[in-house]
Amino acid sequence: MPEIRLTVIDESGLHARPAARFVQAASRFASRIVIRNGEREADAKSLISLLTLAVRLSNVITVTAEGSDADAALASLAAELSPYVSPMTGNNTAS
Amino acid sequence: MSLVLVSHSKSLAEGLRDMVVQVAGEGVRVAAAGGTADGRLGTNAEAIVDTLRDILAGSGDGVLVLLDLGSAWLSVEMALEELSETERARVRVSEAPLVEGAVLAAVQASVGGTLSEVAAAAAGAASMSKAPGGSSNA
Repeated sequence: MPEIRLTVIDESGLHARPAARFVQAASRFASRIVIRNGEREADAKSLISLLTLAVRLSNVITVTAEGSDADAALASLAAELSPYVSPMTGNNTAS
Repeated sequence: MSLVLVSHSKSLAEGLRDMVVQVAGEGVRVAAAGGTADGRLGTNAEAIVDTLRDILAGSGDGVLVLLDLGSAWLSVEMALEELSETERARVRVSEAPLVEGAVLAAVQASVGGTLSEVAAAAAGAASMSKAPGGSSNA
């Protein structure tokens, strides 16, 4: 299952607007997309679920996609959310 | 899918509309119906009917109505009685807390949610934490 790790670079963390962008971007794909922040995990297509993740500046979130369009979904999420998150490179990228 | 925000305060309804549109994007129609006709605090059944009719005439979609306080329900009920049965069938009134409900509903609407899906998203607001993982003083 492909996954990417993203560092939150928005000072306010994953507040309402970026969280809504996440939901909008994720909803365009059929894959099940899960975002993890530490122990918590949320459905990327549900705003209420995302807002309970309490994601703050500098947190590293892991986004996992499962489904036929999983790779495209992750690439699209990382691109569309680039004002708020920055992809982590090196050993931590998708396997 | 459209939203109608009913508040006793015109500024509250309009301010929330601005916030909701910023969060969910311009693709979702959000209308504010706040205050009385003469600008006092209160709700106005006529303004709510006009807002609903305007939206219902402009699109074939459903409308979710959200309220700030229960007493707004009296005006909303009067407004609904003015609508035809077919118009009324496309309108649903949410019990959700206004701010969270409006944001959740608008984002659900922005991804193509149906009236039922949008209403369900708003309903989730009732159990939404204000301080997830935060305050333990409760």
